[in-house]
Amino acid sequence: MSKTPSILPALQHSDSFFPSGAVSFSWGMETLVTESHVPDAEAVEKFIRAQLTERWASFDRSIISAAFVASKDLVDLRKLDSIVECQTLSHEMRDGSHRCGLAMLRVHEELGTPLAKEYRGCVTRSEACGNLAVMQGFLWANSDVAKNEIWALSAHTLCVGILGAAMRLGCIGHVHSQRILAALHHTIEGLIQKPPLPLERLHAFTPVSEIAMMRHETIDSRLFAN
Amino acid sequence: MKNTVSGNFPAAARIGIGGPVGSGKTALIERLIPALEGRGIGVAVVTNDLVTREDAERLKASGLINPNKVRAVETGACPHTAIREDPTLNIQAADELVNLFPRTGIVIIESGGDNLASTFSLDLVDYWLFVIDAAGGDDIPRKKGPGIVRSDLLVINKTDLAPYVGSDLEQMKVDAIEVRGDRPIVLTNCASGDGIEAIIDHLSQSVLFDA
Ligand SMILES: Nc1nc2c(ncn2[C@@H]2O[C@H](COP(=O)(O)OP(=O)(O)O)[C@@H](O)[C@H]2O)c(=O)[nH]1
Ligand SMILES: [Mg+2]
Repeated sequence: MSKTPSILPALQHSDSFFPSGAVSFSWGMETLVTESHVPDAEAVEKFIRAQLTERWASFDRSIISAAFVASKDLVDLRKLDSIVECQTLSHEMRDGSHRCGLAMLRVHEELGTPLAKEYRGCVTRSEACGNLAVMQGFLWANSDVAKNEIWALSAHTLCVGILGAAMRLGCIGHVHSQRILAALHHTIEGLIQKPPLPLERLHAFTPVSEIAMMRHETIDSRLFAN
Repeated sequence: MKNTVSGNFPAAARIGIGGPVGSGKTALIERLIPALEGRGIGVAVVTNDLVTREDAERLKASGLINPNKVRAVETGACPHTAIREDPTLNIQAADELVNLFPRTGIVIIESGGDNLASTFSLDLVDYWLFVIDAAGGDDIPRKKGPGIVRSDLLVINKTDLAPYVGSDLEQMKVDAIEVRGDRPIVLTNCASGDGIEAIIDHLSQSVLFDA
């Protein structure tokens, strides 16, 4: 017998109270703020919108959906994991994706989420990387998050992660960050109306953030891991 | 203890070191490493430098420890979050160190610098120390805060500087006992090494059962 659908698992897993390691990552924002390429709230909003439309919608979203469907199949999950690995260029972006994915995986293992322990075994044996988008679809599926909520959840955590970084970098205030988040809802709603791309058509083009992450590798003064 | 390692080695104890910036956390670690290694206990360190990798680099260059046994974890300007609400990346770094060096007996996690209200998640560490210093003013224990009150061991460091700043060490001790009850306190001078053995004794009794 299936459980009554509930919004509560989605709330639990989208909340920044859920320990995910996300506070340590700025996904290029630290470099862009430090080098004055992202000087103000308007630029922050533009940056996040580009992440949503040019990477999340055309890449992450399909991976998350596929991982949700493959949530009981470790072989398929590993294939998805290697697709993400092969299509993520900058080192710090891959590293961030691994570390966030693994942080999530370890917490889920301790929570007893089905197959989390087994997949972490694959990562420990270097048979998989644990990329974040795969872990999101896989672990949310196995934590009773409803399928129609996973995209909003993933997009929301992406926005909040970068907004939080921008706030801690002194670029926006607490009210402005909520204004931006609300403005981005419209973008997200629009993106998730369309079906996700099939795996053979995945693509992403976010050169500004990727180059920023490459530059971040050699920056001495760093609050964030990317 | 938190972590089970494959092989025949006992799981490494995880020790948190918190306390205000400049109180002597890194200096204490520099003293603890040789003292622990001297007792045959392998040490690895995770630092949470706030802005740079200064502490990690300082330990790596110290000659006291294999540089590969030191990891820096960035905290995104959230040093308290990284030891309390979301310690996942510190746990990850500690796991990796223990997997790479299975003979590690103790992983020390240095916080990025705290105010008196910070605490460590008990899912991250088995035991935690809070380091304050005499030069910061002798009223600090009276100000309480969970770091002072709830830490497993309170370290009052820089005893050598007390006379220069007019800090009354006896009073600090009395105040600390008053707010901590039975929880132990150790006075140290990390410049000379005074008090380090007393800390090792506390660690041995509490978490290094085989030491
Ligand atoms: N005189 C004296 N100086 C100390 C003592 N402990 C640490 N220091 C110095 O205090 C400064 C801050 O110490 P550090 O270990 O970097 O503090 P942290 O920020 O808590 O890690 C350094 O210059 C240390 O050499 C001590 O017991 N006595
Ligand atoms: Mg330090």
